[in-house]
Amino acid sequence: MIESPRIEGLLRRIRREIRRRRAEYYGLRGAFWAAVGGVVILLAKHVVGSAAPWAAAGLVALGAAAGVAYGAARRVQRRDVARVADRAFGLDDRVATTLEWAERADRTRLVDALVADTIARVEALEPKRVVRRVVPREGRILAIPLLACLVLAVTPPIPMPSGRMPDLLPSGEEEREERVSSSLLEETSRQLAKDPLKRPSFEERDFAQRAGGSGATTTGDLSAIFKDTSLASQRPDFNSFMKKGDERLRMLEQVDRLPDLQSDFTNSQYKMVYRKSKALTGGLRPDQISPQKLRELLEEMERLGRKGGANWSGDAMEGMEALEGGQSDRALEAMQKALDKMRAMDEAQRSGKGLRGGRESERGARGRDRARGDGAGPEDQDFGEGEGLMPGKGRSGSPKGEATQRLRANPFDVGVEGESRRGRKDGYDTNLTGRSGSMASRLQYLGVIGQYRKAMEDAITREQVPRDFHDQIRNYFQALDER
Amino acid sequence: MNHDSRVQAFVTAFEALRAEVEKVIVGHHEVITHVLTGMFAGGHVLLEGVPGLGKTLLIKTLSEGLELSFSRIQFTPDLMPADIIGTNIIVEDADGRKHFQFQHGPIFAHILLADEINRATPKTQSALLEGMQESAVTVGGASRPLPAPFFVLATQNPIEMEGTYPLPEAQLDRFLFKLRVRYPAIDELNAIIDRTTQSRPATVSRVLSGPAVLSFRELIREVPIASHVRDFASAIVMATHPQWEQAPDISRRFVRYGASPRAAQALVLGAKVRALAEGRYNVSVEDIKALAAPALRHRVILNFEGEAEGVDTDTLVARVVADTEAVTAQGREPFLR
Repeated sequence: MIESPRIEGLLRRIRREIRRRRAEYYGLRGAFWAAVGGVVILLAKHVVGSAAPWAAAGLVALGAAAGVAYGAARRVQRRDVARVADRAFGLDDRVATTLEWAERADRTRLVDALVADTIARVEALEPKRVVRRVVPREGRILAIPLLACLVLAVTPPIPMPSGRMPDLLPSGEEEREERVSSSLLEETSRQLAKDPLKRPSFEERDFAQRAGGSGATTTGDLSAIFKDTSLASQRPDFNSFMKKGDERLRMLEQVDRLPDLQSDFTNSQYKMVYRKSKALTGGLRPDQISPQKLRELLEEMERLGRKGGANWSGDAMEGMEALEGGQSDRALEAMQKALDKMRAMDEAQRSGKGLRGGRESERGARGRDRARGDGAGPEDQDFGEGEGLMPGKGRSGSPKGEATQRLRANPFDVGVEGESRRGRKDGYDTNLTGRSGSMASRLQYLGVIGQYRKAMEDAITREQVPRDFHDQIRNYFQALDER
Repeated sequence: MNHDSRVQAFVTAFEALRAEVEKVIVGHHEVITHVLTGMFAGGHVLLEGVPGLGKTLLIKTLSEGLELSFSRIQFTPDLMPADIIGTNIIVEDADGRKHFQFQHGPIFAHILLADEINRATPKTQSALLEGMQESAVTVGGASRPLPAPFFVLATQNPIEMEGTYPLPEAQLDRFLFKLRVRYPAIDELNAIIDRTTQSRPATVSRVLSGPAVLSFRELIREVPIASHVRDFASAIVMATHPQWEQAPDISRRFVRYGASPRAAQALVLGAKVRALAEGRYNVSVEDIKALAAPALRHRVILNFEGEAEGVDTDTLVARVVADTEAVTAQGREPFLR
């Protein structure tokens, strides 16, 4: 501690001044907020009573006193006092440096000169107020809540709003309303008393039964409550809801569909002819089928076979001859044969072996090249109906057959249009816009479904499947065909 | 001699030296004060100004006022480091034996005037680096101390940048202050005409010796500085760093690299000299503020946006000082804290 009564006296004086200014500052703030509280008290004068003005005045005084006490009680740092002194008297940080360095162990000899210089300058100072008054923002608007307090104190109490909605009903109707609602409450409480364990769902069902009755208002019926509203005449339409629900369920079922697969399949000739044949023969015996329509179908099949150079036109011709001979059974058998060949050819075209990634024409040309044995490897050879990847089928020497190929197992075999592939073809942009976007997708599913169907028919023929499941299995495959 | 009288001696010497320089140099009172401040603080000073403003004359006059050796090097593009430092030459003694002898370069002087320092190549400029920082040079594996006090005063021309090599940041940082020599006012220009066109030029007398300068340098380091003043200096230096969390917006926007710790040293040492030159025994906040621009203007590197908008480093430093003062304890009412 520096031994200079003048410096200490200066610091004490400034500290007192700081405390006073702080007390003023926080006193004004406390008075403002207390005055705001006083306004609230005076607004509720009819509740508080005649003591409200005194309570508000007391609160303002208490807030101001609390602020003054807080400001005066706050600690004043010694170095802050020294800096205030330096700034106020233009001492160029002499007092602060002196106070700090006078007690340091590493003080230099120049510090002694500093202390002497500081003491000499402090002794020459004229006492003056150095801490300016700072009015807080609350202090500048303190008059507003104080004035509001005065006005509210001299004016009569302000009636508070009741909190009820404005009464728009006539008094007689209001009484009836009250009677109805009280009787409703009594009824409800009586029912609850009778069966306290009754579940709310049961009550709801009771209400629904009543609501669906004659429509007359009964005691306890909620339509009595809604009698003036449009809700009273409305009944819950569960049928329409169920209907909509069914539609939604059907839409959900469609999620399982394969849109590309189906659109590709629907566009095939086989699909068109198959649908016509199903429409012609569905649920009818051979003698009940219209010969005219059967002939038209066979002619169409024969025309398609001749046009595409396929091998079912002979069967179709045979069917037409049988039909002219009046043998509907043979005609139907010939049509079925032609349909089978048509399906086999269609599936062979769509199988994974046929998917070379190029256009249909290229694929067909390559397929024919491979059939002639132009460098076709064992992977590239096409399979006939019922052959190929099925266990125990195909040209594999293994008794278990070849493993079912997976998509992307062979980059040359996958052939998903738009996929880039190594070696044989240029890669295509996988972005489904432009050329590749217009190409239908092809999956290996179509390459094996015919083989599975054939295996299913074999299994049923060999009685490997319980008889009760035959129809179910056939329906399943028929559902697949329809998709 | 007690401390009070030593301080008085310093004040007298400082004023006398300034008066001797001002016999020749008209105006530039602040530049002369800062040059003297840099010299007593033990740093080197870079003067920047257009030709004809008396930069070289100022330094020559200062050297005439001091009992110290003086060298002048005119930096040119073909100047080599050996031209500054010196080199070993073969000499033959009386017995006819030959041996190497070190030929001292012009750097071996108390006051070195590096005129137009930015006209030499960076290789030659860097020959000054070791001497400026270590007060010693290394030639042929042997370190040779430079005479004390060693004081480099360099000049450079901000225009005519064609064919110049701007000083690298590492070398700029070694200058305690960078002073801008501005064009004189009309009355100062009239005084220059009168003074330089007379038949009898002004004579400068030597008022200070080398040992006296060294003793004053020791005295200056004894000047106490209050912690809040030191904190203010540190905050100013930190505020030039855009990465600092409390950096002002102007630094964040226009500064690429802030000042180095050497800037804080320069601020405080310069402030101590200024305080003692004014007869005070302590450093004040005003001393720090007065020396912020000379100590920081060459250490703050502007970013692209700052250069594109033509931000002046003096303006930037002034804003940084003002912002720092506002956010630190300097600018707040102490009784509200």
